[in-house]
Amino acid sequence: MIGYLGVDVGSVSTNLVVIDEETNVVSYIYRRTMGDPIHAVQNGLRELKELLPAEIVINGAGTTGSARYLSGVVVGADIVKNEITAHAVAASHVAPDVQTVLEIGGQDSKIIILREGVAVDFAMNTVCAAGTGSFLDHQAERIGIPIEEFGNYALKSQNPAQIAGRCTVFAESDMIHKQQMGYHVEDIIYGLCQSLVRNYLNNVAKGKELMSPIIFQGGVAANLGIKKAFEETLGMEIMIPKHYSVMGAIGAALLAKEKAGNKIESSFKGFSTSDIDFKTSSFHCKGCSNNCEIVKIEVDGEVLARWGGRCGKWEIEQT
Amino acid sequence: MKITFPHMGTLDIILSDLFTRLDVDFVLPPKTTTKAINLGVKYAPEFACFPLKVTIGNLIEGLEAGADAVVMVGGIGPCRFGFYAEIQNKILHDMGYDFEMITLEPPMADIKDFARKCKKIASKKTLWQILQAVRIVWKKAVAIDEVEREVLKRRAFEKNSRDTTVAHKKGLAVLKEAITPYEIKEAREKALSLINEVEKDLRRCPLKIGIVGEFYALLEPYVNFDIEEYLGQKGIYLERAVYLTDWMGPSKKNSVMGIDSDELAKAAKPYLSHFVGGEGQTTVGHIVKFAEEGFDGVIQLLPFTCMPEIIAKSVLPKICKELDIPVLTLIIDEQTGRAGVITRLEAFIDLLWNRRKKKLSAVGC
Amino acid sequence: MFICVNWSYNLGVFTKVGGQMKIGVPRALLYYKYFPLWDAFFSELGAEVVLSPQTNKRILNLGTEAAENEVCLPVKVFYGHVLSLKDKVNALFVPRIVSVEGGAYTCPKFLGLPDMIRALDVDLPQIISPTFDLKLGLWEFYRSVYELGGFFTKNVFKIIMAFQKGLNKLNSFENLLHDGHLLNEALTGRFSPAPRGPLRIGVVGHPYNIFDSYVSMNLIERLQKKDIRVLTAEMVSPEIINEIVSNLQKKLFWTYEKDVVGAVFHWLDTRAVDGIIYVLSFACGPDSLIQILIEHEAKEKGFSVPIMPIVIDEHSGEAGLVTRLEAFTDMISRKAVKEKS
Repeated sequence: MIGYLGVDVGSVSTNLVVIDEETNVVSYIYRRTMGDPIHAVQNGLRELKELLPAEIVINGAGTTGSARYLSGVVVGADIVKNEITAHAVAASHVAPDVQTVLEIGGQDSKIIILREGVAVDFAMNTVCAAGTGSFLDHQAERIGIPIEEFGNYALKSQNPAQIAGRCTVFAESDMIHKQQMGYHVEDIIYGLCQSLVRNYLNNVAKGKELMSPIIFQGGVAANLGIKKAFEETLGMEIMIPKHYSVMGAIGAALLAKEKAGNKIESSFKGFSTSDIDFKTSSFHCKGCSNNCEIVKIEVDGEVLARWGGRCGKWEIEQT
Repeated sequence: MKITFPHMGTLDIILSDLFTRLDVDFVLPPKTTTKAINLGVKYAPEFACFPLKVTIGNLIEGLEAGADAVVMVGGIGPCRFGFYAEIQNKILHDMGYDFEMITLEPPMADIKDFARKCKKIASKKTLWQILQAVRIVWKKAVAIDEVEREVLKRRAFEKNSRDTTVAHKKGLAVLKEAITPYEIKEAREKALSLINEVEKDLRRCPLKIGIVGEFYALLEPYVNFDIEEYLGQKGIYLERAVYLTDWMGPSKKNSVMGIDSDELAKAAKPYLSHFVGGEGQTTVGHIVKFAEEGFDGVIQLLPFTCMPEIIAKSVLPKICKELDIPVLTLIIDEQTGRAGVITRLEAFIDLLWNRRKKKLSAVGC
Repeated sequence: MFICVNWSYNLGVFTKVGGQMKIGVPRALLYYKYFPLWDAFFSELGAEVVLSPQTNKRILNLGTEAAENEVCLPVKVFYGHVLSLKDKVNALFVPRIVSVEGGAYTCPKFLGLPDMIRALDVDLPQIISPTFDLKLGLWEFYRSVYELGGFFTKNVFKIIMAFQKGLNKLNSFENLLHDGHLLNEALTGRFSPAPRGPLRIGVVGHPYNIFDSYVSMNLIERLQKKDIRVLTAEMVSPEIINEIVSNLQKKLFWTYEKDVVGAVFHWLDTRAVDGIIYVLSFACGPDSLIQILIEHEAKEKGFSVPIMPIVIDEHSGEAGLVTRLEAFTDMISRKAVKEKS
């Protein structure tokens, strides 16, 4: 059986997916990055191997996410792509006629506008975390209700609280204020969902023409309260793909498959890469006044990759 | 009197040359790095524009290195830049530095004041000598910009990564040494031929991207995350809206870009019909020009809270729609991470390639 | 009643609605400076002036949704007022006020405002946006006045009379301000008795921030409820302000910031107030630099009068403002008591 591996390593979660020749998802892993992308990928590979049929042959591997270059070295990727393109590819694969992709992840969120299967415009959140998943995580912790339960609570709300403020800090103080005023917890939770959606539409999706079909993906898509808030605000139906949480990884796998079409052998290092001891270290380049911090990855003294410089002189091209 | 001044692109090369010719005692602050930025952010007002913060950082480092005078240019508004010198003066004095601020206001406003200040900076020379030195150094500055413009265009074709950058550095070194007008001319030819000699792959059909925005963000590579070098190495043909001499130039005609500012205002007119300070209107004019010239996309650099660029950004949706040109706005300040910028640039490049493929398939290629 | 039959001008931009032209004026930005003039001018020329309602949540939301994120709050509010008016009028008045005195500008955003509004992706009525630039001299200025009047009549005399009437209205409005009336009261003509308490607080900042009670979260009323006498920059005579700003090392090239700087410096000198509240809006370009001038001057004067800056944006919560106001007023009243004893 032939498969293609996609790896998406973000600051919050690390996702791995294997798809088959017919682009069906064979298995996937969704786990926390915990600030250590190398081990997250290695452990993810180990877990993924357990789930996969024994006879699988990986014919191509792709990485994406903010740690795409690092994870690309670890798995031996054939293609390294930014997460915007990866998400767009996955979404238009699931729904070929999709025109809008809403993606909300842990630390960042994005919108991608597609026309006829091609991305024509995109935007990412800039500095504020108010339109992202960590905002909800944080509030869930404060209210003391597990984030997984958030959706169910939100759907029960009859009279959602108006949570003011487009900034996490202000939203938080306003939420505390509403709690102290005696609002029901479900109304506060749905109020938070509406607030996040408002934030997202005002910051990330500003000025974009949101046309149907709309796909909502990313970890936060698990929360039905957000879906409902989107549908109410936009007055349009929102679709959530089956594998909403790992769409970036699916996109990377699809790109790897595309690439394998004109390539004989994958540079995938195999699942045993999870046992290799990757050493990362960094140093400051003294070449100019920029003093860039250069990161390097070594295995047994052999330098696999280096990056971090502004001028590109330390960069080692991966083969 | 020991003079210092803030960095901006190749300004240090030009002013060092000028001050040496004029026998002025000066000290260069270290090149802009995170250290200067952090210093500036610490002492500048929170929502001041980013260039003010960075230049304050430069000046602190310059004063620490022994300077007791600062040369800045002023302005008559409405952009905040015209008030920078005054604010820098207040902030640095409040921090306890003892120095003299020499602000060169535009000569059109007060020619006598301008002459007086020039004399103050170059006290050992006559006004005539100062004028002669400026004229020669100006030639050098234009040559530096012309070389830079070639680099932006040709990097897209280089066979081996970084060859053009290396040639550029060599060329600049040659230019730096040139003294007489004849030598400057020779050095310019030499630098251009160095860049020309870089091994190229001319079969490439690179994406063409225009870079517009606030001049400081355009000119100072550390502040714009070396976006030009990054894009060039990704095989993109670049054209930049503003070069140093275009910005400083007294005439309406830009010496390097060769575009008349009236022409730009005319191009901008359907979208932004009045001067709004800074580069607001020229940014819009350049975007329209780039669209007309068939560029694949435009990148706008906007330092956080920059008023003229925000106005330009506000009219962008209309331009993009009517002229069918994608524009990526990068908002720059101390909180902007390079990784986020790179992700956006990569996605923007993918988007532009997709558009081009689609256009080509539409005409049956 | 004036009927719009001015087909020769601008291809007859106004459709007749009940015979009278309805011109919309957004209750934002320079409304707080020049509305008496505009109102009298348009009414005199036979148009019906339609003013947008007081800023409310809906208007603010309309504005923040339509404007670019980076734009300052007062301009977002302006967008909101434009959008709330657009279906109710034949034309919207969005002047481009470049300069109101020689050698100084208003604010870059006022220079680009009509273009920013026109770039909105919604159906808008005709936007009337004459350019007023006093730096170009009186001749150009009056040409703009004539151009504006030309939308309503070809009669030069009528236009000049209407403008003169507007100027008179503006003068009496400004006189009310110099006499110590608050701007919102002078605008509406509804005067309420001023508090008589011992404490005086100077409130400075752009009038469109301070006197938009939704934006400033009723700052002035909150102070008055504590029986504090509120003074604003408009109450300081222009002569004093001009003298102070003419002594600045560098000439200020923003007209409206001169009032702020002049008033604060004057109060620091004379101690005519017990405390100063400086209201600035986030992302306001001029405010960010003026703040430094004020802090520097306060330091030079040995902090003779306590100053509290309040930065407002669409995120601002009322709770934060209330706490800060209480703390500030407590502080200055304790200081006053201590100084007396």
